[in-house]
Amino acid sequence: MNEEKNKNIKIGLEIHFQVKGRKLFCSCEGEESDNYRGKIVRRLRASAGEFSNTDLAAIQEERKRNEFEYLITDNSCLVEMDEEPPHSPSQDAISGAFIVSFILGCTPVDNIDFMRKMVIDGSNTSGFQRTGIIGINGVFHHNDRKIGIASVTLEEEACKKIEQKGNVVTYSLDRLGIPLIEVSTEPDIRSPREAREIAEALGIAVRRSGYIRREVSSIRQDVNISLDSGNRVEIKGVQSLSQIQEVLEYEIERQTILNEIAAKLRGKGVRSFRLKPLSINEIANSWKSNIVIKAISEKKEVIAFRLEGLSGFLNNGKYRLGREIAERLRVSGIGGIIHSDELPNYGITSENIVKLKEYLSCGEEDAFAFIIVDKDSKANALKIIEERLNEALIGVPAETRAATPDGTKFLRPLPGKSRMYPETDIPIIKVDHNFLDEIKKKIPPTVKERASHLMNLGVSEQEAMNAIWKEYDDILENFIREFGNPKSVAKLLAVVFSKQEKDLDKAARILSLLKEGLITKDVLEDLYNESDKNLSGISKSKEESLESVIKEIVDSNIELVRERGNDSFKPLMGEAMKKLRGKVDGSKVSEALKKEIESRIRGMESNK
Amino acid sequence: MFENIKPGDEIEVRWKYQLLNGILISKNHDFMIIKLKNGYNLAIDYSHIQSLNVISENKPLKLTREEIRGSGKKVTIIGTGGTIASYVDYSTGAVKPLENAQDVLYAEPDLLKLGDIDAEVLFNIFSEDMNQKYWKILAKKVYEKISEGNGVVVAHGTDTMSFSASALSFLIENPSAPIIFTGSQRSSDRPSSDAYFNLLGAVKVAQSDLGEVAVVMHSSMNDDYLSIHRAVKVRKMHTSRRDAFKSINAEIIGTISKDLDVNMQDYKKVKKDEMHLYENLSEKVGLVYYYPGMEKELLLKFLDRNDGLIIAGTGLGHISNDYIEDIKNIIDEGKIIAMTSQCLYGSVNLNVYSTGRRLIEAGVIPLGDMLPEVAYIKLSFLLGNFGQDDAKVLLAKNLRGELNERRKE
Repeated sequence: MNEEKNKNIKIGLEIHFQVKGRKLFCSCEGEESDNYRGKIVRRLRASAGEFSNTDLAAIQEERKRNEFEYLITDNSCLVEMDEEPPHSPSQDAISGAFIVSFILGCTPVDNIDFMRKMVIDGSNTSGFQRTGIIGINGVFHHNDRKIGIASVTLEEEACKKIEQKGNVVTYSLDRLGIPLIEVSTEPDIRSPREAREIAEALGIAVRRSGYIRREVSSIRQDVNISLDSGNRVEIKGVQSLSQIQEVLEYEIERQTILNEIAAKLRGKGVRSFRLKPLSINEIANSWKSNIVIKAISEKKEVIAFRLEGLSGFLNNGKYRLGREIAERLRVSGIGGIIHSDELPNYGITSENIVKLKEYLSCGEEDAFAFIIVDKDSKANALKIIEERLNEALIGVPAETRAATPDGTKFLRPLPGKSRMYPETDIPIIKVDHNFLDEIKKKIPPTVKERASHLMNLGVSEQEAMNAIWKEYDDILENFIREFGNPKSVAKLLAVVFSKQEKDLDKAARILSLLKEGLITKDVLEDLYNESDKNLSGISKSKEESLESVIKEIVDSNIELVRERGNDSFKPLMGEAMKKLRGKVDGSKVSEALKKEIESRIRGMESNK
Repeated sequence: MFENIKPGDEIEVRWKYQLLNGILISKNHDFMIIKLKNGYNLAIDYSHIQSLNVISENKPLKLTREEIRGSGKKVTIIGTGGTIASYVDYSTGAVKPLENAQDVLYAEPDLLKLGDIDAEVLFNIFSEDMNQKYWKILAKKVYEKISEGNGVVVAHGTDTMSFSASALSFLIENPSAPIIFTGSQRSSDRPSSDAYFNLLGAVKVAQSDLGEVAVVMHSSMNDDYLSIHRAVKVRKMHTSRRDAFKSINAEIIGTISKDLDVNMQDYKKVKKDEMHLYENLSEKVGLVYYYPGMEKELLLKFLDRNDGLIIAGTGLGHISNDYIEDIKNIIDEGKIIAMTSQCLYGSVNLNVYSTGRRLIEAGVIPLGDMLPEVAYIKLSFLLGNFGQDDAKVLLAKNLRGELNERRKE
């Protein structure tokens, strides 16, 4: 990908961080749970808007006429079931959001005004997500780049989707209502690689607040991208940092190709697409295609139409307009469009194709397609296809897409602003000066400041960053203050925090043995991994100190000392290390032994 | 402050040294709310505004809707206020009642598919503000409408819906078309609102041959069934749940499925030519919830002000023995005192304990399994339209299904 050459890539990130503690609008635990206690079944509808008619995106979801099933968990109550009004928002979550807002240099709001963002896919029982702005217009510094922060908002997490069977979508209520801090950047990012870097750096900076849940699933990203001032495409549900880059690279390619298609079509003089659908059941009757035979036996209609100038654009490997159309149809619950770029196939022969082309009066450069539909969905299907084809003349349509393992897929048109209504169940919350002053005291040092502080204590940069990322930098600092040995402390804690079970007591006991000189730094990790018994063994051998062991060795070899003087050091050192290896640092042993031998020699001399 | 700007104007504000662009939603005492381009509302304090310019003035958008007329029977929807007939007032952000019939139909265009729907907003009040005066107006209006042979749906706030439904049940004897009350527990401005299903179901029942006053609301927390309750047996039993309405000491009349199929059993059918409208309701009746430690003076004050009093007593229908002598004297003066139970479930029985027997001797009328609120409405109806003696007799008789001799649960 020649991303550097293309100066017109605009990428923005929306990163969602789950906040620790209770849920945003009730007292349920903000932990995920699969302990199901029952279910409720609901339907949602679009409602009239504030300034305009019901939002397009909302209508489209409703078109699907889904039924929603919600599994009740032990951490959900009537609030999540939309059977009780929301309680006052979690004070902790509000504090966390303001700290994050300050970390990112935002201007704090005077009042928190929660809104309802309509989400009609059923992922919220109410049909909307409650969200309020906490801060706006910040700046995030990363290396020499300045990325604008459009807003920091506090919102509620949606339900977890469990499955979809036919028109019934099942969700679990456990995740619904967990507080989310959403950080939205301006479209200041210029490449997929940079997007990944910024997402990672923002993640570390936001975690510094200390309010973010540690679970792997607790951070999710949405990305926005536009090329050459074209339409914005929003991609939802990017799960990992590496996926950010992959998805964006895929999307740049897709959008570049769409722009290319638009330019070519315009070059051919295509102004607009107007489908002239013809029922071809009579013609298709003679085909030996299983798909078609089945459709006709189910009394479905086979509708064909000419696609002017589109031969080769529907699928030639590079151009895949056919797939774009199929994705649109699929979300509206309409399957199956078959187009000429993929034929002959499905039992449809070249002979069939020639006849059909003739029937539809297709020219050299024209493509054709047919759909297999119920009477009810025919008009809608044709409308969707026509809409998408006309958008192909513009280039990239404004869409919300979903991240998939190998790219992105269409979800719905990009929602407009009328999707936001005021939340009438929660009064506007005045943000008090004193509260903000208290919050400001809690703003943590920046990652840079914190890392250099830890490095001043004697920790390497890599280990300092690791500690900050995994949020044990405070423990690291405390341990260094208590036990000294910064490098050893950092190394051991890196081991401790790489594991699922973290036994900080044990780590502290090991480091205290190190401090007392009872063990050496090369065995810290082994001791931590061994059973506790070995550790208490060492504690008991406390009285058996370095000096007494050395003394004993010199006593039992006093003849050797007498004979060889300082030269007895070498053999005695070997013996001492046999007893003390792993418990005392070699240099200390050698120092103590040297001292003891010298003092004995001095004693001998004075006795002479 | 900022008198020159109006809601809907597009403005540019310098706030805390940030330049904001948006549409003015409302001006409050300390702050104004503007809608930003991203859809969020921002409430900004006047004290932090450095400057403000109007970019363009409000251009109201026209709302359009498709009209599809179904072929079902004509139904009149009468709005009285409450959550069901409400919308978000964007100037204050609060939920407000719909102002006119157009609004009702705009909120639920699917209604038109069910038939010829005539909508009318009679009052715009919160249901807690209901009283005898409104009930009389409502009864008269409903009577007029059903006299034409068409069913009526009353969209009502849920708080006092069972009072109003009972009032109409007593005031309109043998209705010639269904009178159906419905409401909503989740406001109609949200996609998850129960209002639409409830309203559609109520209209379907209003097109049936039900010759009674009924309440139609959700059966459970699911959007799958609605229950049809007899007006004089229903009570709001939860502050917020969709299925707050329960038939107490009685079975429901029927259900409505999500496909709007109405299924009713054991109900009174409409009969021609017998309908009668009673026009009065006494305001000199009271309803008292007895509690241990209640001052006798309080109870006596209630009796002093009213011609009749319903007591919601403890258990089988008791109040402190300390009051019985005073009560007897008051009854002897000609006032009516009747007993219901705070338990709601089950029947009053004044024969089991000595307190009960003394209450009977004093002349207190036991009201079986009648709900306290229904008894209150019934007494208001009886004292408004009949003499004291008749009222006394009728109070303990079953008139509209409010008294059940048999309870299965």
